[in-house]
Amino acid sequence: MSFDAELDAKGLNCPLPILRAKKAIGALTSGQVLKIVATDPGSVKDFEAFCKQTGNELLSSAEAGGAFEFMIKKS
Amino acid sequence: MAKRLSAEERRATIITVAKRLFAHTGFHGVSIDDIVSEVGVSPAILYRHFESKEELYQAVLQEFSATRESYIEAVVADDIGFEQVLRGMTTVFVSSIINHPDMLKMEMHSQLDDSSASQDFFLNRWKSFTDYIEFSLNELQALGKIKPINAQAAALMYQGMIREVLILKCMQQSDRLKDTPIALLVDEIITLFMKIVEPVR
Repeated sequence: MSFDAELDAKGLNCPLPILRAKKAIGALTSGQVLKIVATDPGSVKDFEAFCKQTGNELLSSAEAGGAFEFMIKKS
Repeated sequence: MAKRLSAEERRATIITVAKRLFAHTGFHGVSIDDIVSEVGVSPAILYRHFESKEELYQAVLQEFSATRESYIEAVVADDIGFEQVLRGMTTVFVSSIINHPDMLKMEMHSQLDDSSASQDFFLNRWKSFTDYIEFSLNELQALGKIKPINAQAAALMYQGMIREVLILKCMQQSDRLKDTPIALLVDEIITLFMKIVEPVR
């Protein structure tokens, strides 16, 4: 899947990955996609909740090699 | 006659009892015999659900992780600054401890236990604060918005203050603080903490 910006949130605990993502999405235009890589297991629920609250679309959420990868499309 | 519990209900009952006992006397202060006699089952039944006391302890920690705090609401609002996020996060964290004081007791015991797994578990919960404070203060300094500050020491200071309030109010019901509601105390402490974060004018 292609994306327009990438955020490395590895090693950070909630809420930092969310705050960084919020900032990164702020810099995108509507329809652009942000890829986020995080290691906090809680980030899976957090990004679901984040997208629900902000109206951005969670395109995918996957785990690979102990890291979690999210694709979020700006609304 | 008491209703026979399903395997799932039995497991949940064992975890509930174990949580209370672990919180009261720590991992080493509780034996499998203590747990089974409190639950009213034989050791064989307990071992059907948990291979060892270690595994049961891990299951208790797992349950705490399931009730893990969500800081999303505290951070999604627009144009929200360092102090507001910190206040929001702290409110969520403090309420969760008020609702689960056993978690704090287990955390205190874990400091003495020689189990790195449980120490890591509780340290990780505080990491949300230390990460947030360190990262944000370093970023604000780099942007020239605040005066130089040792972000790591500030994060540690914050953790120490909040944890002490929780210990005094939720575990020891300290007389010294009995007339001050916990929310007010936490609020005042954050106000004091923010005085060390000096904006550049």
